[in-house]
Amino acid sequence: MDLIVTDKLTKIYNKQIVAVDHIDLDIKEGEIFGLLGPNGAGKTTTIRMLSTLTRPTSGTATVAGYDITRDSRKVRQLIGYSAQAAGLMENATGRENLDLFGRYHHMDGGLLKERIDELLALVNLTEDANRLVKTYSGGMRKRLEIATALVHQPRMLFLDEPTLGLDIQIRVNIWEYVRKLSEAGITILLTTHYLEEADRLSHRVAIIDKGKIIATGSPEELKSAIEGDAISLRMPSASAEEQAATFQKTEKILSAQPFVKKIMATHDGVNVYVDRADEAMPKILRLLEKEGVETASTTVSRPSLDDVFIKYTGRTIAEEAAQNNTGKEGK
Amino acid sequence: MDFASDVWYTLARRFRNGLREPIWIFFSLTQPLIWLLLFTQLFKNLALVPGFPTSEYLLFFAPGLIVMMAVFSSAYTGFDILQDVQFGVLDKMLVTPANRYAMIVGNILNALVSMVIQVLIIFGMVYVMGVSVATGVGGILLTLVVVCLIGLAFCSLSYALIVATRSHTALVVIANLLSLPLMFLSSAMMPAELVPDWVQTAMKFNPVNYAVEAVRPLFVGGYDWSSYGMGLLVLGIFAAVGVTTAVLAFRNFGK
Repeated sequence: MDLIVTDKLTKIYNKQIVAVDHIDLDIKEGEIFGLLGPNGAGKTTTIRMLSTLTRPTSGTATVAGYDITRDSRKVRQLIGYSAQAAGLMENATGRENLDLFGRYHHMDGGLLKERIDELLALVNLTEDANRLVKTYSGGMRKRLEIATALVHQPRMLFLDEPTLGLDIQIRVNIWEYVRKLSEAGITILLTTHYLEEADRLSHRVAIIDKGKIIATGSPEELKSAIEGDAISLRMPSASAEEQAATFQKTEKILSAQPFVKKIMATHDGVNVYVDRADEAMPKILRLLEKEGVETASTTVSRPSLDDVFIKYTGRTIAEEAAQNNTGKEGK
Repeated sequence: MDFASDVWYTLARRFRNGLREPIWIFFSLTQPLIWLLLFTQLFKNLALVPGFPTSEYLLFFAPGLIVMMAVFSSAYTGFDILQDVQFGVLDKMLVTPANRYAMIVGNILNALVSMVIQVLIIFGMVYVMGVSVATGVGGILLTLVVVCLIGLAFCSLSYALIVATRSHTALVVIANLLSLPLMFLSSAMMPAELVPDWVQTAMKFNPVNYAVEAVRPLFVGGYDWSSYGMGLLVLGIFAAVGVTTAVLAFRNFGK
């Protein structure tokens, strides 16, 4: 059963900035659905529309059959929303944070207390429950923050960039909690610009770029659409012009070879897509050496979601992230 | 029922927050005392000027100070929700089924409660200094009504500004820019008869002045229902404008 269905969902800011452009999504009950894309792709705007915070400019969406604009009150009872920002009251304890969100969902006091104890245990914060949040570490905050979205036992949970800016160990830790929640039956929509996160957590992924969905499917389906292996050649560091020149030269040499399927520039070198990396690698290196193109190192990888992104957009997500590091997604 | 509960839990959260900041409590309690002492000492001899309405500057100034406290503390209440706006807490609250207007009411009630306490401290001080308020307990209650109306107006505008701009600086600049001129362009410190004509004209357009004029007779002279009625009318309209602005700002938040 589809828990969320969107029909040409669109958001245009100030009559000219198209943040989300005619998106059609269907999210099935019980799945973890990943919305993957670079910063500014429209992920946050999509999640804000589905969670009733932002009104769509056109198009519709329903959560469990309720329209997000007309039945917003009903929708709010069914969903939990975990913000990209800290999303917690700093000068209150962990327990007080959970309590207020329960109260705002009009939960009965006794039931709420039980639920809070249960959640604190789930996110491993029982012992820190009565400390002020301003004394918490980054990982503790995120765990508590997700818990505040779960107090009222929502059917649908929105996680907006759940591990943004967190260390890798904490990130893995949060992933575990997300999986636990999913096993408990809750449907999850998460946005991320971390490929690994989308790949490892989601049952299905939609890749979004410039407000449009460019591909949807399970991570395996999406990756298998990319045939063959990727060989990443890292070139010795050089100026931008030199890099461009090296890329052109490499492209000229390799595109003449029948075994090379595609060549892409990366921020520090070149990605070459071939059917069999083990056979292609020695040939490539020999050719380049003969023509005087230096390579610093090589890596062979099975196709990743990044390769899917490259296939549809011609850019890598990592490059986008580096360029837009300071730019925040429009609210 | 849900509305009352949403108001209550918003208010309870603010109270708890307030109690966690003992320094803040200390300053908001001592501030009225400091101002009262400083101003009455500084301007003591004004009462000797011919045409001054009373021989006690304290009695003249106390109503002005009360209105001034109300304006100053409510103009900055937007800071209460600044963190909620910046840290995404307000977003999360708006995703709950809780009534957003109940949240505004709860936050404003919290500000009004601390304002009322400050005003009562001033009354206490005036009493301790051996000066009696002309209209007694009735006057105190009528004063609190005016304080709550003007507080409601400025709190709402302050919230609206924070919600619309999400900016700490905007609130500081605008509140600083407006609050002192609003005080000086009223009869809070100087009787209207003793200021230049243009200031007198400006006073007619200043809601703060109507608050001072409504409250002052309760201290000096006795009940003056026409200036009190006028004050309620002007402040009622001002508060309605403020509340409407805040409601519109919240409705557009994040849209």
